[in-house]
Amino acid sequence: MEKQDIIKSFKDSLFTGLIALALFGPIVGLRTASKGEGLFITPQWGVVFLLVGLCILGRFLININSARRTEFKIFSTLSSKFSSITEDKAKHFAITGILFAVVFPFLPFTDRYFMDVAIMILTYIMLGWGLNIVVGLAGLLDLGYVAFYAVGAYSYALIATTFGWSFWICLPLAGLFAAFFGILLGFPVLRLRGDYLAIVTLGFGEIIRIILINWYEVTNGPDGITGIPRPSFFGLPFKRSPDEGEMSFHTFFGLEYSTMHRIIFLYYLILVLALITNYFTLKIRKLPVGRAWEALREDEIACKSLGVNPTNTKLTAFAIGAMFGGFAGSFFATRQAFISPESFTFIESAIIVAIVVLGGMGSQTGVVLASIFLIGITEIFRDLEQYRMIAFGGAMVLIMVFKPKGILANRKPTILMHGDKK
Amino acid sequence: MSNLLSVEKLTMKFGGLVAIDDLSFDAKNNQITSIIGPNGAGKTTVFNCLTGFYKPTTGQMYLHQADNKVSLRKYTDFKIAHVAKVARTFQNIRLFPAMSVLENLLVAQHNELMIASGYSLYGLLNLKSYRDKEQLAVNKAKYWLDIIGLTHRADDNAGDLPYGDQRKLEIVRAMCIEPKLLCLDEPAAGLNPKESAELNKLLKFIKTEKKTGILLIEHDMSVVMGISDHVVVLNYGKKIFEGTAEQTKKSKEVIEAYLGVDE
Repeated sequence: MEKQDIIKSFKDSLFTGLIALALFGPIVGLRTASKGEGLFITPQWGVVFLLVGLCILGRFLININSARRTEFKIFSTLSSKFSSITEDKAKHFAITGILFAVVFPFLPFTDRYFMDVAIMILTYIMLGWGLNIVVGLAGLLDLGYVAFYAVGAYSYALIATTFGWSFWICLPLAGLFAAFFGILLGFPVLRLRGDYLAIVTLGFGEIIRIILINWYEVTNGPDGITGIPRPSFFGLPFKRSPDEGEMSFHTFFGLEYSTMHRIIFLYYLILVLALITNYFTLKIRKLPVGRAWEALREDEIACKSLGVNPTNTKLTAFAIGAMFGGFAGSFFATRQAFISPESFTFIESAIIVAIVVLGGMGSQTGVVLASIFLIGITEIFRDLEQYRMIAFGGAMVLIMVFKPKGILANRKPTILMHGDKK
Repeated sequence: MSNLLSVEKLTMKFGGLVAIDDLSFDAKNNQITSIIGPNGAGKTTVFNCLTGFYKPTTGQMYLHQADNKVSLRKYTDFKIAHVAKVARTFQNIRLFPAMSVLENLLVAQHNELMIASGYSLYGLLNLKSYRDKEQLAVNKAKYWLDIIGLTHRADDNAGDLPYGDQRKLEIVRAMCIEPKLLCLDEPAAGLNPKESAELNKLLKFIKTEKKTGILLIEHDMSVVMGISDHVVVLNYGKKIFEGTAEQTKKSKEVIEAYLGVDE
């Protein structure tokens, strides 16, 4: 390695340190603390210099490494190997994954905590698959997807608490409501693309949340809705002591009462819902409407010149994507038994978009991997409390550095002329 | 030969700029009509008016069908292709690059397939009637791919094809909507002489075998003079000459427009 290179990379890392200083100085260095009355600023320069030093060192090491042209060779070979495995054996991979998901609740190490995390990951997988229709296939960047999740959750909660209908009636209704809102959002944004569309959908997500907070008479405002009915196992509730003349799940099957029954049921419920979403997406992708979505993502003007109606095509994408968001919302409401606008903030939309983009736009398996990776990592670091968002950010940076197009970014044609073998 | 398209007193203004000025011409059935002219003469604007991308300021465009004539002004964007059956290609190729060649040709048959799939319902149920229709669509795609010799690349991404093949693919993709009038915007741009010759063959085939009228914008004179039945010359939005290829070559106005006048 040349001496020149070292000097150059040293200068570069000093510059990085300067930027780090500008960022960390005010953010970390000046800490506000309340002492008695009023706020005071306590400087903590030690931490700042530590962080800046780390940045300089890190940058210097990266520079030296790239000068040697080895450039994370291990990582790139690993990641290319990884994707070739999943590409070749996508089907085996999917079947193994589903089988694992089916037996997961009965594995010896599975406890209540694992089940809760698994249910959460599956909810995000379902949301990711739903959003994948809008973002991955139709190419419409939707930053307000959580709005449909909220509409689904609130429609379910309101219908179930007002009319007392069962989960299986409320679920499709909630999906329909969400789809309706999808079309409602779709109309004004038909002419928008890219960044502009993203801004409007972002606004839409906020509008829904703010309506939920302020429409006190209907939504109960920030207090949220409590006492949402739990789902029953085909009419059998999961209660310790069922009412007179009523059977509950554990008495019907002659089992010892356990709270795990309900958790396991919820787990399978979301698993089935997610798999339905996946099956539907895989199917519709191969239909004319699915191809039109992808064509619209590729070139809208060419679509028009071929007689494809862009309005209908976009609206169906919004509606179907929103419908699955609504289903997931219903599940969320019935699982929590309590919902409030708190659960539907922008960060949720951001996480779902991150899952779709980092998974590889349009890739169903990619969504699964990204959900497990992002949600799993944040869960593992839950003990670190406020630092767990750093883990989330770190996970995103890792994916962006090593797989900039997403974990799985290859698209298979929806129809083949020459069969599967080339 | 009967008229296929009549453009009558077409004017298109962008603010103060008159892109097309009182243009009238006819295109006949089973003929190749070329529109030529120096850069900025308004050729592509004519296409954009015809294919519904622009709404002309004044003037009429009629498509003659059997006995009645249909005003193209009535249709906007996608309906031009869907209802009036006017197809077009673009100066800078607009394929769906990340989709396979076959998929590109199937998107062109979107509307028939959409009905066949019962607006996705029959398709989701995987009914035989839909699968049969889809097979027909694939057969049609194969028919056209055989003609341009790209059948072996049907499953590759359209964006991975060489430039010349992409041009040809865009033309046959437009043919998949079974148009009455095919508008080609500089199909020979960037092609080498061999590819240009192949393009001539393809266009002649479309004209004679498919009985489709072709409207052609082109700078490559070997293409224009080789295959045009009729030539319309534009300059600054005005028609300066109209006639056969032979007449055009000799026309004083045309030569002046291209080469300038001696002072």
